[in-house]
Amino acid sequence: MRSEKVLSGKNAIITGCARGIGKAMLENFAKNGANVWASARSLTPEFETRCAELSGKYGVLIMPLCFDMTNKEEMKNAVKVVMKSDLKVNVLVNNAGVTYNALHQLTAEAALRVQMEVNFFAPFLFTQSIVKLMLRQGSGSVINVASSAALDGNAGRAAYGASKAALLCATRALSREVGAQGVRANVIAPGITETDMIGSMSDAVIAETVACTDMRRIGSPTDIADVAVYLASDLSTYITGQVLRVDGGM
Amino acid sequence: MLLSGQNAVVTGCLRGIGKKTLEVFAEQGANVWACAQQVDEEFEKFCAELAQRTGTWIKPIYFDLTDTDAIKAGLKAIMSDKQPIDVLVNVAGFTKDAIFHMTSMEQLKLVFEVNYFSQILISQYITKLMVRKKRGSVINIASISGLDGSRGQLAYSSSKAALIGATRTMSRELAQQGVRVNAIAPGVIDTDMNAVVPENVIAGHIKDMSIQRMGSSSEVANAILFLASDLSGYMTGQIFRVDGGMK
Repeated sequence: MRSEKVLSGKNAIITGCARGIGKAMLENFAKNGANVWASARSLTPEFETRCAELSGKYGVLIMPLCFDMTNKEEMKNAVKVVMKSDLKVNVLVNNAGVTYNALHQLTAEAALRVQMEVNFFAPFLFTQSIVKLMLRQGSGSVINVASSAALDGNAGRAAYGASKAALLCATRALSREVGAQGVRANVIAPGITETDMIGSMSDAVIAETVACTDMRRIGSPTDIADVAVYLASDLSTYITGQVLRVDGGM
Repeated sequence: MLLSGQNAVVTGCLRGIGKKTLEVFAEQGANVWACAQQVDEEFEKFCAELAQRTGTWIKPIYFDLTDTDAIKAGLKAIMSDKQPIDVLVNVAGFTKDAIFHMTSMEQLKLVFEVNYFSQILISQYITKLMVRKKRGSVINIASISGLDGSRGQLAYSSSKAALIGATRTMSRELAQQGVRVNAIAPGVIDTDMNAVVPENVIAGHIKDMSIQRMGSSSEVANAILFLASDLSGYMTGQIFRVDGGMK
C-alpha cells in the first residue's frame, strides 16, 4: 500500500507564500509531507507564526525565506541560504506575481515594466539559480504559475497576460533543455481564482467570467495548490513541458 | 490514499495501461469493476489477489467492444450492483495501422467502433448515474496521435481525435452537473501496442522528447489517478499530454 503522503521526503521552494494560492500551496505541501522554504517579500510576525504552526501541525520543516524577488542582491542571498542548508531542492514553485488590469491602449509604461519585472524576470532569474542546483542533483520539478490570461489574451489583460505568456514560453524552452538531465518543468494556468487578485476585478467582470466557466464557480486556492502537489510528486515523472489549465472549463 | 472508498469502472484491464490503472486504483483504495474483452483465468486470479492485498473489491466484467449488445449487458451488470460510480476510465482501444491511401473502409469502421462509438455508449450509461449523484470524473484515453497526427495511423489517430472532441463537448455539458471529463494523450508508452513498432521508429520519437525514454504504463496510470482524484477537482475539458515532452 502506498504512503498517503505523496511528497514525503521532498524539499520545495514556494514563492509568494504570504497570501492566496501560495498560502494554500504552503499548507498542501506541508500536509503532503514536504519540507518547504516558504518565500515571501517580508518576514512579518504573522507569517513567521504561520510557518511555525504548519511545521508543528504536519511535522515538516518550514523555513521562511524572505526576500524581494526584484532585488538581485536579496535573491542572491536567498539562494545562498538554500545552498548552505545542504538539503536537496526537489521542487521549485514560482508562484509570486502581481496583477494589473488595463486596456492595451491605456497601459502605463511603468506598470508594464513592473509586470515583466515581477512576473517574468524575477522567476526566470530565480529559476536559473535553482535549476543549477537541480542539475547537479540530477533531478527536480519546476512549477511555474502562469494564468489562463497567458493563453487567452483577455481584454484588459495585455500587460499581465503577456508577462505570464513569457513565463510560459520560457518554461517550455527550459523543459526541453533540461529534460534529459532529470529536471521537469511545467506550467499551471489558473482561471479565475478566489484570491486578493480578483479584488482588482469588478463584480460584473467576475460574474461574466463565472458564466463562461463550465463548472460555474470560482476556483479556490486549494484547487490550484492540489495540482501543484501532483506536479511536484513522483506521480508526474513523465510529465514535462505541459501547460495545465486549472480553470473549471473555460 | 487518493481514492479511498471510491468506486471506479475501468475498461481494457487485461493488459498494459488498463491493467496498471486497475492496480494503482486498488492500491489507492478504490473498488473497481475491471472490464476486459474475454474471460481469462489468469486475470480472474490477478483481480482476486489484488483485491485481497488492497482490501478492496474488484469485479471482472467481460464484453467485446465491437458487440453493442455485449457492452449493454456488461453495463447492466455493473448497474445492478446499485453502487455509486465515482470514476470511469475508458482505456480499452486498439489500432489497425495503415497509411491513408491503404486504409480500407472496413478497417476504419472497426477502429471507430472500438475507439469511439463504444466509448460514447459506455460514457452515456455511466455518466447518467454520475449526474444523479452530482459527482464523477470521466477519463478518456486518447493519444498524442489524435492531436499531432501519426504517419501510418489514419484510422487510429482520427478515432482518437474524435474521442478528444467528444471529451471537450461532454465536459461542457456535464460540468454543471458535477461531472468532470478529461482526456489523457499518452505519447510513446512501453506497452504491447508499441512492441510491434520498429525500433528505429521508436528511437526517432525518443530523440524528439525532453525526457529521452519511453513512458511506462504506471506513469500513465498515475496521471489517470490524478484526474480521477479530487486533486484535479477544478480541471475539466482538458487534454493532458503524458509524453515526456515531445516536440
